[in-house]
Amino acid sequence: MAKKSVWSDNRFWQRTAAWITGFASVLLIWLTFDTSGQIVMGNDADLQNGVTKRVPGPTVINYKITYEMDAKRKHEVPVIGEKEMFFGKDDWNEEEAAALLHLGKLASQTKNCMNCHTLLGNGAYYAPDLTKAWLDPAWQETGPMQAMTGKSTKEEAMAEFLQNPSKYPTHARMMPNLGITADEAKGLVAFLKHMSSIDTNGFPRNFGKIQGAVNGK
Amino acid sequence: MGVMIEPFVDIVPSFFGTLAQGPLTLTIFLHTVIVLPMIWIYKQEKARLEQEGN
Repeated sequence: MAKKSVWSDNRFWQRTAAWITGFASVLLIWLTFDTSGQIVMGNDADLQNGVTKRVPGPTVINYKITYEMDAKRKHEVPVIGEKEMFFGKDDWNEEEAAALLHLGKLASQTKNCMNCHTLLGNGAYYAPDLTKAWLDPAWQETGPMQAMTGKSTKEEAMAEFLQNPSKYPTHARMMPNLGITADEAKGLVAFLKHMSSIDTNGFPRNFGKIQGAVNGK
Repeated sequence: MGVMIEPFVDIVPSFFGTLAQGPLTLTIFLHTVIVLPMIWIYKQEKARLEQEGN
């Protein structure tokens, strides 16, 4: 009888398959919990103590957010700076800020923003990516979008635009009027500001490089 | 550049963040944990077959 090879032995392949399946299962469960830890939301104390969280607490709307190149990570990261007025106040407490963000989130779902826009990688690319919309220079003091609405702050300009998008010619594909109320617009702007403060590992990747954008040439 | 394992710079420390430095580090790790036990299983099965007199 010929010597039997291990390679043609059924038990070898069964044990190998069992090992790989078992290891992959453990790895996937571990990754799930690892991800949960990565995306847990911070709180007001973290912001005050300078503890960096991938997803900052709702009171991040009280702070100025900038998008700066991180030489080590080789992409831009949101940097939470000094206090800044947001709709006339810079002392939104945790409950107020969370309620405003919640209203904005519900409004974004009711109005189906993702039908055209992309939020944190989810949605469509018919309209501009909103993940870092708050940081778009077009909405800053010297930007054309803010000038267009005639408002003196970024948040008021964005809220005004959201309530009357068809009044302002912005894009070849104009945003339709969705019947967004003043309160919903306020919530949506807070939602966008909070979203821009989330560390997304530089996503969307070309945001800082396109002309007119942050660090754009 | 040129260093396979770079200092950890991600915002929230994670074992997977350390592993995923580039495409190769994760690949090498996964191949190691899959192939090394396969060699061990191979040796065990070979010994078993020899013992059974095949």
